[in-house]
Amino acid sequence: MSTGQGGRRVLVVWCPDWPVVAAMAEDGDTKPDAVTAPAAVLAANTVVACNEAARSEGVRRGMRRRDAQSRCPELRLIENNPDRDARAFEPVVVAVEELRPGVAPLRPGLLAVHAPGRFYGGEGSAGALIAEQLVRTGVWDCRIGIADDLFTAEQAARQAHPQDTVVVEAGGSAAFLRELPVSVIDDAEVAGLLRRLGLRTLGDFAQLDGGDVQARFGGYGAKIHRLARGEDDSRLGARTPPPDLECQIRFEPPLDTVEAISFSVRRTAERFVTQLAARGLVCTEVLIEAECDHEIASSRVWAHSRWFGAADLVDRVHWQLRGQLRSTSGGMGVSAPVELVRFVPDTVEPTAAHAAGLWGGGTDERVERAVARVQGMLGHQAVTVPAVQGGRSPGDRQAFVPWGERPVGLRPAELPWPGSLPPPAPARIYTEPRPVAVVDQRGRLVWVSERGVVSAPPARFRTSDDGGTGGTGGSRGSGGSRGWQPITAWAGPWPVEELWWENPASWVARFQIVGVDGRAWLMTCADDGWYIEAAYD
Amino acid sequence: MIDLTPLEHVFDDERVTVLRRDQAEAVLARAGFAAQPVELVAVLPALRTLLGGLRRGQVVAVEGAGVLPLALLAGATAAGTWSAVVGLSEFGVLAAADLGADLGRVVLVDDPGDQWAEVVAVLLTAVELVLVQPPGQVGGQLARRLVALARRHGSALVCVGDWEGAQTRLRVASSLWVGAGQGDGHLRGRRVRVEAAGRGSGARPRSAWLWLPGPDGTVSGADLEALEAAG
Repeated sequence: MSTGQGGRRVLVVWCPDWPVVAAMAEDGDTKPDAVTAPAAVLAANTVVACNEAARSEGVRRGMRRRDAQSRCPELRLIENNPDRDARAFEPVVVAVEELRPGVAPLRPGLLAVHAPGRFYGGEGSAGALIAEQLVRTGVWDCRIGIADDLFTAEQAARQAHPQDTVVVEAGGSAAFLRELPVSVIDDAEVAGLLRRLGLRTLGDFAQLDGGDVQARFGGYGAKIHRLARGEDDSRLGARTPPPDLECQIRFEPPLDTVEAISFSVRRTAERFVTQLAARGLVCTEVLIEAECDHEIASSRVWAHSRWFGAADLVDRVHWQLRGQLRSTSGGMGVSAPVELVRFVPDTVEPTAAHAAGLWGGGTDERVERAVARVQGMLGHQAVTVPAVQGGRSPGDRQAFVPWGERPVGLRPAELPWPGSLPPPAPARIYTEPRPVAVVDQRGRLVWVSERGVVSAPPARFRTSDDGGTGGTGGSRGSGGSRGWQPITAWAGPWPVEELWWENPASWVARFQIVGVDGRAWLMTCADDGWYIEAAYD
Repeated sequence: MIDLTPLEHVFDDERVTVLRRDQAEAVLARAGFAAQPVELVAVLPALRTLLGGLRRGQVVAVEGAGVLPLALLAGATAAGTWSAVVGLSEFGVLAAADLGADLGRVVLVDDPGDQWAEVVAVLLTAVELVLVQPPGQVGGQLARRLVALARRHGSALVCVGDWEGAQTRLRVASSLWVGAGQGDGHLRGRRVRVEAAGRGSGARPRSAWLWLPGPDGTVSGADLEALEAAG
């Protein structure tokens, strides 16, 4: 069995350092000169991918962040995000699919397809055509390999130059693989074992007797042995293009009020939900688009804490268009009558995963309805779910996630945050710090040196607006004469360099200050004076 | 397991056919199974001497925002009750979580603007505890309408600030932070005396010494006897 595909040859497209390319593309840096700056993608402080520029500076996969930065100080660090890699690879898959259906994405950055044969004028020119198509979609570094089997084709692609194609002739797999080092096997353990056995190249390994390999290394070893002999028999799991589950409705004539649009999309929303349900799916994230004048005027992805019902979709259309109709003055918005509304499923999940939600449990139905009414009154963003996250200042340590959306981008609270204050946490956190004056025994303003030394023990404080510190129930006055309140105890400073309010990175020191009335405050000494950030009361 | 031995003689005594309810409850309470009557929204154990629980349809006015309203929220959500927070723009999320609040059962509307009463009215129909900080004193028609709504839907209303005709008023009468010195240490806990005053059945003013919060982050009793007993 020299060609397990029944004579069908395999074409592999490889985009090297894909996580880096994907991150750059997402930032809009697709120009080739952006690629010349060294960049690396890190997961858990370890380099998982880096580009050629970084490699030439000595950065390697598996290196720790500190080591990578010491070799290449100007290295651009990018957080690992497998979702982003897959997302960015999707246009590449589609671009190849346009030329040749039956594309099998193997992982982000690597895809395989049956080689087109003679149709595009031979395999070499088919590769060139695909490369050209990919360059047009913004992928500069793509390499193509064509061979009898998947493994050889991938190795051929790895040998190719950027935008070039390496073709291994039919029946030439074993000869092509013979000279390659065993390290090309995508399993470091196996590769290391073979090296220790004195087998340096795939050719050495291929010469062993198949039966012996099977007996010594089992089925897995035998499979790798077959790969090395160019007898890869794995079939391409070609992807079927996703079924068209999007639904749209066209308004004739176009509608210009949100109420009319919301009313008219109801049937379409129901069709969208039932169509998914018929496939055993529910939609948890949906893209809603509205078109005016043949252009997409409004587009937004909505997430749901459970899954979207028809009424939820109508609500989202209402919020999205109402918000945008309101902000027509500010550039992009819905300025003309809407002629089309489209629902595109962004994330679908099997119904089984949400069975608890379907049969009671999950979020209380009553609460959902009440929240929807409040959102109708005040807007989608007005109702939130509080969440705890990591950070230094008390304000940084909390987040408010809009109801129904999934918390994304929260800082992990488990990490140590140097400079953060020990518990207890303050009960009230001012949305905007309030100015306060803190003076020592002789009435001079207290300040903190860069080394964290306090000029003199703080003795009294006074807020500029006295009602502020009193809070809502502050019937007890601030005690001392002319609004000055004596300080009975204080702790700190906790110095930290951070984004203080609207100023760029500057240096602040935090104090816990207890007034004579028994209430405690979190005060901050910044460059331009003292502020009350939060109240412990 | 509940130790039922004190109850057995009641069963043995053939003359007693009906258990006296208060007797049974006392036994259950001693066994640590204080039956939480359903008409109450749960509060943290340390607050029970002061409040018993939040009666549904009741308004509790808390003087001054701070730890006390957060503690009420923590007690309710920790018992699995849905709660809503309206108008507390300075809500300290971490402080509430440290007191034991289940943030997944909190609906927050921090800036309802002048529609706060409508928002409270909607939420009273759905959640069992609404914590609201109105822009000013609430009284007259509006207060009565919201209370009627709370009573109909069996939810409790906690108002930060003053509420005309509130059944219970809570205030922190004295407070002492411990832990901070003169530039050393850090805040660890606060010992407070909380006073509860009420109308009707709860007319007798009560007060309790509490750690709010204690050095371990929770709310606990801080009576002098309790402190001495602890050493």
